[in-house]
Amino acid sequence: MTRRTTPFLLSTPALALVAGLVLGPVILLVRMSLFEPATGRGFYTAGTFTTANYAVLLERDSLKLFTFTGVFGLMVATATVLIGYPLALFVRSLTPRCQSLALALVLIPKTAGVLATLFGLQRMLPHGLFAAIAAEVYLILPYAVLVLLVQLRGIDTTLVVAAHGLGASRWQAFRRITLPLSRPGLILAAELGLIWGLSAFLGPLFLGGPDETTLSVEVHRQAFEYGRWPRAAAGAVSLLTLIGGVLGALFLLRRRQR
Amino acid sequence: MNRRPLSLLLGWAMIFGLLAPVLHTVWVSFSPDSFLTPPTGEWSSRWYRAFFDDRRWIAALLRSQVVAVLAAITSVMAAGPIAYAVNAGEFSGRRLLVILVLLPACVPVATLGMGILALFYVTGLWGTIGGLVLVHATLGLPIAFLIIRSHLTPALHECQLAARGLGANSWQIARRIVIPLLRPAFVAASVAVFVLSLNESLVTLFLTTPNTETLPAIIWPQLRYSPTPMVAVASCITAIIGATGVVIVFRTVVASRAE
Repeated sequence: MTRRTTPFLLSTPALALVAGLVLGPVILLVRMSLFEPATGRGFYTAGTFTTANYAVLLERDSLKLFTFTGVFGLMVATATVLIGYPLALFVRSLTPRCQSLALALVLIPKTAGVLATLFGLQRMLPHGLFAAIAAEVYLILPYAVLVLLVQLRGIDTTLVVAAHGLGASRWQAFRRITLPLSRPGLILAAELGLIWGLSAFLGPLFLGGPDETTLSVEVHRQAFEYGRWPRAAAGAVSLLTLIGGVLGALFLLRRRQR
Repeated sequence: MNRRPLSLLLGWAMIFGLLAPVLHTVWVSFSPDSFLTPPTGEWSSRWYRAFFDDRRWIAALLRSQVVAVLAAITSVMAAGPIAYAVNAGEFSGRRLLVILVLLPACVPVATLGMGILALFYVTGLWGTIGGLVLVHATLGLPIAFLIIRSHLTPALHECQLAARGLGANSWQIARRIVIPLLRPAFVAASVAVFVLSLNESLVTLFLTTPNTETLPAIIWPQLRYSPTPMVAVASCITAIIGATGVVIVFRTVVASRAE
């Protein structure tokens, strides 16, 4: 065992899981999206090749679907940051003991109570766009608050004290010191909100009406309501491309800013 | 400073708002009748009794626990070594390893669900407990990796160097220094994966068949089409197990720090 190969040897189990259950399935999915639909039994016709499943995605209804998915993602990202930032500022302002209690409470909807949260929201809100966004925000907010809190904890508190000493009002100190210094955290939280909002599935599925169909919901519907696996696969591949494209664009943007 | 009480009130109100749906579900689960109206006068445990009298629910509850435990063990055993390798020093390909291990969290749920459905259909893993365990373990990989990596401190590295200086070989260092010192990280990571597995929706919405019916697998379809107080009960039980898990993590980590 040479030194250079040790890290890779240690990584084998994890890489095997990722290769087998993430990369493998994605490759399979690409192949399946090029099959013709099933005739008779089964979910697709093996050995065939067609691009028709992607052609469907260029039709008018599908373009509406893409637009809605994009708008939905943006709305979820905006709502996550607008609610998450004040919440993180509040948690940061508490005593250390209260901070861990507040953090544990904030994490509950995502960690322990996904089912209970969705069930409760279903009872409390009428189905529709607002409810679908609310549900997604409930599921993303815990992570956003966590990211923002880490950023806020890294800010030197003496800076704010110094600003007050120099005669700045609370608002001025916030605007000139805390806000600029929390920028990296805000950007990361917004990116998380956008990526997860674009791939939104549970919120629109359980709390949306027929108009709130995102790409993810459409994939599920094609596969399980109509049994059209190749079409569902084409939807899933384009969703992955969309997310990959957004991630790539964000990466380039960040690099240019440096 | 007189604005302080107001901001305190607003802040706690926001946190309460986040918990409101969960509290509402708990409330509904004590409903005395079959409608989803919260009990205003009389509270009843009838749906809890019905839950524990129903074989199908109990079997699903147990199956979820088994899957979650096995997934947690698998995930931590895979995440531990890679976290250690990535932290041990700079080498080419290190960034790629980090990206790969975090990949399960970046691929959209629907894409992953559809892809794994295709894989299971082709390989015959569809409808097996082993398949479910593998999926949950993979989905837990990023969080287990991040938790374990956050425990790999410079102090641990110094202990290793000291042990090497005293003549210990790699195997002895791993067994006597690294693994004991990382035990809290392993506990925290496995409980986190366990809790995530209990709340998993991807597998249940894309991969369930009758013989691998886990608790969420019964809840999700009913949640969508015909919710009853029983669904509220099942959600509450999942939440209670999950919350207990979170408490265990906090306690283990705090206790080990205090030692």
